[in-house]
Amino acid sequence: MIAGYILSGLVTGAVFAVMGAGLTLSYAATGVFNFAHGAVGFMAALLFYQCDRAGLPPWLSALLAVGLFAPALGYLLHRAMFRGLARAGETAQIVATIGLTIALPALGLLAVDLLGLPPADATALPRGVGPHPAAALDVLGVRLDTDQLITFALSALTAAGLWAFLRHTPYGLRMRASVDRRRLATLRGVDVDATSALAWMLGSGLAGLAGVLAVPVIGLDATAYTVLLFASATAAVFGRLRSVPWTFAAGLGLGVVQNLVAGYTDFLEEVTGLRTAVPVILLFAGLVLLNRSRERVAGSTAEDAPPPDHLAAVPLWRRRLPWALALAALLAFTAAGPEYYVGVAANGLVLALIFCSFVVVTGIGGMVNLAQASFAAMAALACGWAYASGLPFFAAILLGVLAACAVGLLVALPALRLGGRVLTLATLALALLADQVLFQVDAFSNGTIGWPLPALSLGFADTSDPRVRVVLLLALVGLAGLLVRNLERSASGRAVLAVRSAPAAAATSGLSAPRAKITLFVLASGIAGLGGVLFAVSKESITATDLPAFSGFVWLAVVVLQGVRRVGGAVLGGLVAAAMPELLATWGLSAHVGAILFGAGGVVLARHPDGVLAQFAESRHRRRLRRQERERPATPSPAASLVVEEPADRASPAVEREEPVLFRLENVVAGYADCTVLRGVELSVRPGEVVALLGANGAGKSTACAVAAGDLPVAAGRVLLDGRDVTAWPAHRRARAGVLLAPEGRGVFPGLTVDENLRTWLDDPAPAYERMPQLAARRGVPAGALSGGEQQLLTLAPALVRPPRVLIADEPSLGLAPLVVRQVFEVFAELRERGVALLLVEEKATEALAVADRVAFMRLGRITWTGPRSEVDADRLTAAYLGVS
Amino acid sequence: MVRRHHEVRRSAAALSGALAVTLLLAGCAAERRTPAATGGAAPGVTATTVKVGGVLTKTSASGYSTKDAEIGARARFERANAEGGVNGRKIEFVGAEDDGQDAAKGDAAARKLVQKDQVFALVPVHAPNFGGAAFLEQQGVPWFGWATGPQWCGTRTGFGYNGCLAPRKGAGSQTWWGRQMADLLGGAQGKSVYVQTTDSSGSKYGGTTISQSFAAAGFELAGVNSGLPAAAPPPDWLPYVNKIMTSDGGKAPDVVVSVIAGTKFNVGLYSALKRAGYRGVLTDATSYDAAILKDPASAQAMEGVVAAPMFEPFESTAPEIAAFKADVEKVAPGATLTQHMAIGYWAADIFLDLLAKTGKDLTREKFLATANGGYSYENAGFGRIRFPQDHTEPNGCGALVKLEGGAFKVAKSMKCFDNVPLR
Repeated sequence: MIAGYILSGLVTGAVFAVMGAGLTLSYAATGVFNFAHGAVGFMAALLFYQCDRAGLPPWLSALLAVGLFAPALGYLLHRAMFRGLARAGETAQIVATIGLTIALPALGLLAVDLLGLPPADATALPRGVGPHPAAALDVLGVRLDTDQLITFALSALTAAGLWAFLRHTPYGLRMRASVDRRRLATLRGVDVDATSALAWMLGSGLAGLAGVLAVPVIGLDATAYTVLLFASATAAVFGRLRSVPWTFAAGLGLGVVQNLVAGYTDFLEEVTGLRTAVPVILLFAGLVLLNRSRERVAGSTAEDAPPPDHLAAVPLWRRRLPWALALAALLAFTAAGPEYYVGVAANGLVLALIFCSFVVVTGIGGMVNLAQASFAAMAALACGWAYASGLPFFAAILLGVLAACAVGLLVALPALRLGGRVLTLATLALALLADQVLFQVDAFSNGTIGWPLPALSLGFADTSDPRVRVVLLLALVGLAGLLVRNLERSASGRAVLAVRSAPAAAATSGLSAPRAKITLFVLASGIAGLGGVLFAVSKESITATDLPAFSGFVWLAVVVLQGVRRVGGAVLGGLVAAAMPELLATWGLSAHVGAILFGAGGVVLARHPDGVLAQFAESRHRRRLRRQERERPATPSPAASLVVEEPADRASPAVEREEPVLFRLENVVAGYADCTVLRGVELSVRPGEVVALLGANGAGKSTACAVAAGDLPVAAGRVLLDGRDVTAWPAHRRARAGVLLAPEGRGVFPGLTVDENLRTWLDDPAPAYERMPQLAARRGVPAGALSGGEQQLLTLAPALVRPPRVLIADEPSLGLAPLVVRQVFEVFAELRERGVALLLVEEKATEALAVADRVAFMRLGRITWTGPRSEVDADRLTAAYLGVS
Repeated sequence: MVRRHHEVRRSAAALSGALAVTLLLAGCAAERRTPAATGGAAPGVTATTVKVGGVLTKTSASGYSTKDAEIGARARFERANAEGGVNGRKIEFVGAEDDGQDAAKGDAAARKLVQKDQVFALVPVHAPNFGGAAFLEQQGVPWFGWATGPQWCGTRTGFGYNGCLAPRKGAGSQTWWGRQMADLLGGAQGKSVYVQTTDSSGSKYGGTTISQSFAAAGFELAGVNSGLPAAAPPPDWLPYVNKIMTSDGGKAPDVVVSVIAGTKFNVGLYSALKRAGYRGVLTDATSYDAAILKDPASAQAMEGVVAAPMFEPFESTAPEIAAFKADVEKVAPGATLTQHMAIGYWAADIFLDLLAKTGKDLTREKFLATANGGYSYENAGFGRIRFPQDHTEPNGCGALVKLEGGAFKVAKSMKCFDNVPLR
């Protein structure tokens, strides 16, 4: 029997494997974990069903859905969303794809409604790709049907195809190179954007395949596809979100485990939901055990820099005015408005209070918690249970809030070890566990009937009146606002911000990251708990299904859309969430439209990760800037420096006459965000010439390299290659045109083998091995395992075989043994002989000066002197480095 | 910096001051406002009309939809209006709200109907996760529908058309399914039954009541299994089917009862059982659905299944069913009859009967007093109903239909049996 369970479990696992492989592939290639992966599968299944109902043969329907529609959808999402998200912060990434999870199925179902197609609900009974009804077959003594066989065969084919694609095609190599080191891949001429598009198309295709294969079993049910996503996320987590083969294996294994659990664990039957929750439990275990974040710690999102406060210049009263007016309007409405609508406003404020917890945990702490609805439900149920057990009402409320705090503490403990998405997935697992197991315990949730609660009496009025609720909630939201502000301004709040933006620096400054995070998590859980209790109080009852885990996702999307860094965003979000169903009903729109709107917010987020409120402030700021710009009399831009107008290029007229300039930076101004680094850099290199760019730490040398390679856009000035303006060319295009940057540190892909590293620049690596036999001996070794010197040689080896037109080497001797340094500079000398234009950037001058034809000194973003090597003496060097003249 | 800090403090003080004042104002406003419905006409009632509206799960994430209940209720109300209304009042049916199978939305929908639309009563309420029960009970607003959840039971305002289907321990629990089945199979003696539920507390509860029903009829219980995942059908049925096929001392049981809502679940289970060679009787409560027959694979899986509707089957020759069909045809020409239509229709029918018995002078208090003061009503469509008794237990009536040769046939007509206390 057990063999039967295993074999038939492998068939089930094949679906998890295909879907998980797509998840891992797209995450690894683009850095965006797509929570909407299941939704893509649902869409493909929906299309398959509709084509089938329209009379197309099933194989054609499947081909259309999997081969055409799903990749096209992936490409579309890449263009509309994922491309922007790759550069947005982690919070925006998570929320945007969760928004998509809500919006995509709604969009599909709305289209079905509007076009009058066969309904895709519980009455839809989709068929599989194979014969219908499926025929039964005996395979190795296990009875399977044709659909199962087709599933298994297609999965095996997919696995083989995927392996061949990734290992043996240039596309696969490029994709793995950009997974390994995205920036370096660009510098090697890989169009990372195109690679991402390909990854999304492939990932979506895999999701579509899994969706179509699963549809005869699970039906056209968007929830079931979300469940499928969790199972495949478990597989992806066991593949450490990097390895497609391991993900595949884990998916198959998960199918077997599910079958064995179903077959042999009747003793667990007493605990309702526990066996269903096995994938979730495995997900949690996998996250905690396997996925320690290597780069960053505990949800600290360093790239999540707070947006500039565009309203800082506005007087305080002017900042507060809109909110004061809105508050006054709300109070007037409360006093005079119809009871029903006041009740709606009160519900909005309950949500606003719960949403304040997102401000604490996500806005301040930079962690994304998907279990907030579960915290609220937990507190409300605990309060109901305590009240029913005879505790006084206020004590019961307190107990509920404390219960949420306690659970928050429990979640915060693993959160210490986990980072970013992993933490988010862990909270998701927790939310599902609460829904599937804890809330199924009858003693806690009182079955499906839940607990009744009385109205909260304030002495002179009670909360059965919505007016009282509005005012009470306003007071509580105001308190939460004060708390958030104190948190931001107090010593502990600053500690939290420090931990968030630079964990290592904070740790060395003696700040305790764990304590700060636990404080935040517990505080946020307490606020969510209080919100949950008030939800129950205003409803005067609470059941386990009132606040399902899924509503937590929608909430998060709503809050982040309004702006998660301020309480204002939370309040607006709460009111919007409560008013939306009313508005839809009033306008006679389908409930799907609301879901689509919230999900479409994800696209907005991809562009404006700080929400609409911040967006208003920013556009106002921009308008004002433009106005000031107009009002100011035209003056020369301060950036266009006059010092550089007299570059000492003319000092070497002899060289200039011999060869025309091949590569040139012309008056380049560039920098990062609001900080200008290069202030008018003028630099040129001729074929067969070595230009050494020297300067002290912080002079702007690496920035100049980045600009030259196209890795950083310029604010002013031009970059010329062979007289052509290449300023607008992206890095990969410049690389293909022959501008190669060997970046600071090592320019190798540590996860690829030596052979594969060479193939990123060469079609045939054999000549490189002839030149560097020490590499040939290690061709199958991952580059990350090489010594520093070997890595630097590996970086330069391709250039020897296929010399670029321009080679820019950023600190090539950094951290290398003298022997290796000599070898490296021999390579440069050889390249010069072969006519390559070389730009060497060094902090240590000695080696560079030995090979240089010309020397440029750089200081504070400007070239202070350029001239032939022969004119460089100790005085000039001192002047260049110390800034004295 | 110091000034700024000062400002912050001041504005915080101003904020809390403003809050305190508004709190007081609202308190006064609340004090002045007297509770709603003081004497005079009841909400939603005029000399010539009574306004009602319903709450249904029209849409849900899982695709489950009870939206047809609106057609059923409308059909019944149209007939009443065509006959001149009740006590001179026509029924103004404002339609049904959608709760999306979300308890909080159901609560909001109930509030909207009562507070904004000012309906007299909620008809039909047919939503598995209905969340408005506490509000309606507190406001004293009657609501009629299918009482599948415990929120209906033990209230004075919630009227299930066939009683409370989720009785507490010790209250009456149905035996009709087992007894009708025993009659159909020519006696339960020596026959074994296996009950399959999903892994959720609701489905497990169903497993308990249904095993008890079959045990009361004399069947021997071969097993109750609640291993199926609740959220989505299992991708692989093998472990579950293996358990069933060996449950009766190594043999397959004579009857398999599926306590699972969801056609995909049942089709999956039945086809897997048939593939494994199961030849016994399959029965469940939800398969009486003509839509299933459109799909050849589902029809094949369902062939021979005995479904157990809690109303007189549409294939019946009873005059009440003929009237039902004619009424529905008027409202929704050509519509396929579904169980939700029947539920909406019979819930509306009981509401109208109570409205007539309350009399011309109509208030909610009077209506509830009539309903809860020894009310009894019999109808071939759904058996009989008695209140307050059926606030806490099911009415004990049900029918059986069998799918034979691709068409449903009446196997057992509607019949009522005595309940037994739930263990």
